[in-house]
Amino acid sequence: MKVLNIILNGKAVTAKMGQTILELAREHDVFIPTLCDSPALEAAAMCRLCTVQVIEGKWPKYVTACNFPLRRDAEVVTDSPDVRHGRKLIIELLMARCPTSPELQRLAVDYGCDLERFTPLNDDCVICGLCTRACEAVTGRTLSLAGRGVAIHVDTAFQKASTFCIGCGACVQICPVQKIKMEDVDGERRIILHGKIASRVKLPQCTSCGKYFGPVIDLKQVMERMGEHLIPPPNATVCPECSRRNLAIKLGKRYFEQYGVFEEEGQANAG
Amino acid sequence: MSGTACACQEIECGEIEIDYSLLDKIIRYDYGGNREAMIMMMQAIQRVYRFLPEDAVKYLSQVIEVPLTKIYEVATFYASFSLEPKGKYILSVCTGTACHLRGSGGMVEHISKRMGIAPGKTTSDLKLTLETVNCVGACAVAPVVVIDEKYYPKANIATLNDFMDRLNAE
Repeated sequence: MKVLNIILNGKAVTAKMGQTILELAREHDVFIPTLCDSPALEAAAMCRLCTVQVIEGKWPKYVTACNFPLRRDAEVVTDSPDVRHGRKLIIELLMARCPTSPELQRLAVDYGCDLERFTPLNDDCVICGLCTRACEAVTGRTLSLAGRGVAIHVDTAFQKASTFCIGCGACVQICPVQKIKMEDVDGERRIILHGKIASRVKLPQCTSCGKYFGPVIDLKQVMERMGEHLIPPPNATVCPECSRRNLAIKLGKRYFEQYGVFEEEGQANAG
Repeated sequence: MSGTACACQEIECGEIEIDYSLLDKIIRYDYGGNREAMIMMMQAIQRVYRFLPEDAVKYLSQVIEVPLTKIYEVATFYASFSLEPKGKYILSVCTGTACHLRGSGGMVEHISKRMGIAPGKTTSDLKLTLETVNCVGACAVAPVVVIDEKYYPKANIATLNDFMDRLNAE
């Protein structure tokens, strides 16, 4: 494989053909701020925070580091007054959308942003697209980026609660500004987006203790992904806690009942 | 697309009955059920109903095995797709620079006032949809009004009044 000679912030390093600037920078412990990057998902260059300067040949140009593959010898500048100037504007715009994000607030202080410059939208979403990409990777049927340009927003199809959601919570976990919420109420798991219910997933009720526990409709897909598609998914009618306790009781009975030391209540607590 | 008449001509309100055999004809026979032809199928469905009914989109998603969210993304991305019912006639007023200078803004206002609808909206009897477009490429004959894909060059209030009188008489 061809090796490229890259000058990264004045330091000569080598890169593999097709490696992105962000990967290279992380390899050499150069920090580039990102919001929409996740190692598990394909780069989308939605937040634009990772913009860096690249000089390939004659002219400098500004590119997003997360999805720019290096194909020629080049010089990369990740932190110069020019790059910081551009990034400052991006942070100011993102802060106007979402002033509550701690990560953005840190960056705003770091870059000396003027927070009065743009009228705050208080939308609380930075349109990084992580939730839709995560949803696509898991099931791809609940969240989408609807609209275009300034009107783009995260939404469910036809703005109605989705019936395809499996309640995995990947969107909640991945959201960099904690905008998507998940709660388990009245025997159903709700994904809440823009303060509106985006999906409802019925939670199974434990036949032993009566508590509701995690959704089981995704188990089949989980088993398939693990390459265990021949094994039927566990028939979960009992919650994990009860299942563990029942097993402890069973084992206790089998091994200790004959000695007369087994008491069901005591074992249940110990197990 | 031969022989497919507009299916919702007799329908008064927003209730649309979906003819699934017609959808099947479009999806499976006209375009072979290939997901690559999704946009063409959506255009064909829109030609039948003048918008994309939710049930038709759901059926399309099932048949070509594309997630509903993907189709929704496409439908909201392109301005030519509409998820809301459109009127029988679509009146587009060009508000590009040349037309604007020749008074298309006043024409939009006039239609809005007379028909009681804002630009981009449809009258409650589903007769007329008023739209504004940015340029139709006929600046020499500005201001331009497009009614059901027919161009009316050098339009004025009288042209519009004529049209609206005919519409109201129907």
